[in-house]
Amino acid sequence: MPGILIYSDNITLTKQLITAGLLLKEKMNQPVYVILTGEQDLTGIANTAADEVFVLKGSNPWPESYADAIANFASTEQISAGLFGGTPRGKDIAAKVAAKLGAGLVTEAQSVEFDDGCLLTTRLLYGGLAVATEEVKLPALATIAPKTFEEAGSSDKQTEVITIEAANELNQITIGETCPVVREGVELSAANRIVSVGRGVGKKEDLSMIGELAQAFDAEIGCTRGIAEDYHWLPVERYIGISGQKVKPDMYFGVGVSGQVQHLAGMRESKVIVAIDMNENAPIFEAADYGIVGDLYEVVPLLIEALKS
Amino acid sequence: MPRILVCYKWVLDEQDIKIVSLGLSLDVSRAKYKISDYDKNAIEEAVRIVEKNGGSVEAISFGTSLKQSFKDVLSRGVDKVYAIDSSIAENADAYVTANVLAAAIRKIGPYDLILCADGSSDVYNQQIGSRLSALLGLPGITSVSQINCEGDRISATRKLGDCTEVVHIKGQAVISVLPEINSVRIPTMKQVLAAAKKPSEEIKIDALGLSDAELLPKVTKVSVKGFVMNRKNIVFKDANQKDNVSKLVASLAKEGLLKERG
Repeated sequence: MPGILIYSDNITLTKQLITAGLLLKEKMNQPVYVILTGEQDLTGIANTAADEVFVLKGSNPWPESYADAIANFASTEQISAGLFGGTPRGKDIAAKVAAKLGAGLVTEAQSVEFDDGCLLTTRLLYGGLAVATEEVKLPALATIAPKTFEEAGSSDKQTEVITIEAANELNQITIGETCPVVREGVELSAANRIVSVGRGVGKKEDLSMIGELAQAFDAEIGCTRGIAEDYHWLPVERYIGISGQKVKPDMYFGVGVSGQVQHLAGMRESKVIVAIDMNENAPIFEAADYGIVGDLYEVVPLLIEALKS
Repeated sequence: MPRILVCYKWVLDEQDIKIVSLGLSLDVSRAKYKISDYDKNAIEEAVRIVEKNGGSVEAISFGTSLKQSFKDVLSRGVDKVYAIDSSIAENADAYVTANVLAAAIRKIGPYDLILCADGSSDVYNQQIGSRLSALLGLPGITSVSQINCEGDRISATRKLGDCTEVVHIKGQAVISVLPEINSVRIPTMKQVLAAAKKPSEEIKIDALGLSDAELLPKVTKVSVKGFVMNRKNIVFKDANQKDNVSKLVASLAKEGLLKERG
């Protein structure tokens, strides 16, 4: 029966997608089907307001190996909308399912509505410079980033969980070792204050000065993509931007950050944005609440001194 | 020796796109085209694999004004470039683009390895590699930060947020690479000059045997508007930096952003 499909390899995200699915249900009048794969933890899923819960069980534990089974489910049930968790695995699975269904897919939709027989979605373009409103023909799929929706609460009902056998053997692929990524320092997205380093900082040794500034603010250190990926001065986990960390601290303080749009897209929801840069016309100042135009090597030591006294 | 194909996109340089304050429309009149940033990493990776293992690198694109892109693509170590130049690309979504590229690859392939970037710098849909693998019936591996080729075996290390995962593939594959996989080298003068002599081939979209439905996008744009930033924009630019600093500190104190003294 036509319905709204929910899937994520991350169960917290599944609960957030259920909220989005239930909002769509109000207008579409179709049931919300939640799909879990393999050994995913059912806790807290069956007592949400979702209409049906299906567990696809196959012999292979790799989440991506379920793309075919999810696509088969979607075409058998003739689903009209599919919401997928916007994790790296989820985006891959969603695109494979979309290709198999011959369906449209909106990546990292920020809003999803049903309107005039189509899904109406919004998303960012050009590294965050613009917002596109798009119309997707049914069946329509979308991936949704973590924390876009609140987790669905529990309801009184206890939904029956239906297990479906899935053929998900892989012939040409074997999955080797997985290693947790060792993060240095705290989770940047949880930091209240962030001092961010850009290419205006001339050499790696100068990071100690920035460290002192961060300390004076009780802030974490973040950076632009160039500092992490081109210069390798700071770990990749510390770069802020549309393809890196998305942060919204109480204060973002950019030092030598010019403000390329891809970077801005990762920090522009910060409460207060401050910037120091040489170039008066740098785009960072348009995105900032407060700024100082000047040589950071002159300004930062003065600032540290002022903050200490 | 692997035969590699890299998919690239010829996109507007977002740095030169301006937002028109009235109506928030985008002014692209001053924007030039470029190879999508992360596609340069995909090209670089293909060239590095061939430098190590032998083989060949070809590149393919679906877009408009693609001729302008040939010199840049070919000077980066690519041996031959294929172009499907069509106005259909202007409104194509990932569904249409993947249909077109898959049909073209069936024509010019097979390849041992098809490389894509994890996303394009304009729309960043992050779909083409995954869709191509599904359409071509090949293993598709995304978010790859390292590739090792040995004979017909490929090992790919994926970066998945909180963990890394190694995937071993036997036979052909479609792999989408992250920009951190390598640092892109700047073409030498010799490479730039040699690019002019390298072959390019245009593939007509009509010759791909695709139905009208397969060329009709599922996702269409209703509107595109500039993102509005509403900020205070208080910028201190006195010659005396001491004054600027004390004004800034005063403002931050008012916002309650100074470190609390314990």
